Amino acid sequence: MKRQLTITSQPIDEPALLRERKASSAMGAVIYFLGVVRETEGEKHISAIEYEAFQKMVEHQFQLLFDSMEKRWPIESVRLVHRVGVVKVNEPSLWVEVVAPHRGEAFAACQWLIDEMKRVVPIWKKPISS
Amino acid sequence: MRVPVHFYSYFKDLTGCTQAEEEIPANHTLADLLKLVFHRFPKLAAMEKAMLVAVGVDYQPRNYVLKDGDEVSLFPPVQGG
Repeated sequence: MKRQLTITSQPIDEPALLRERKASSAMGAVIYFLGVVRETEGEKHISAIEYEAFQKMVEHQFQLLFDSMEKRWPIESVRLVHRVGVVKVNEPSLWVEVVAPHRGEAFAACQWLIDEMKRVVPIWKKPISS
Repeated sequence: MRVPVHFYSYFKDLTGCTQAEEEIPANHTLADLLKLVFHRFPKLAAMEKAMLVAVGVDYQPRNYVLKDGDEVSLFPPVQGG
């Protein structure tokens, strides 16, 4: 399974990521997920979220998740971009692409990856008020 | 042995620092280390139940036996995405 992980303080360049898509002719499903900062955190209105990461552990924990994905589903590739630093409302903080032969495994793997990321990958949010 | 302890997220606010160092005898566990940390930083003790603990880049249970060179990180539940 090909894997690409990017942790960046720069805005996520969706058109560039789409241009770089690679899927072999045996693949029938490409799933994209975009996580976007909402204007509310709980009941508070916010203008942005500041993301903090324990970078080395983020990289290691994501690789462990990719290892598990590879054992569990026939995924050809996964690419993931997570922002750190300040991300404004309506801007994406997370971009995920999963390529697989069929939509069932693509959807399942993508959802699992994001659910597990939210459980084990050491990134934290600090809301910034409006 | 001296064990560096790193703090992340609002644990930095609770301790007033990003890192501390504890002196602990060999063959002691993470649980033993945490007792020392909570004694030094009482505000952190209230977070114990939800606290996540890593040694290096891996999560470890409280009964993990510390080795020379281990670096410990303490942080609240994660919030990626």
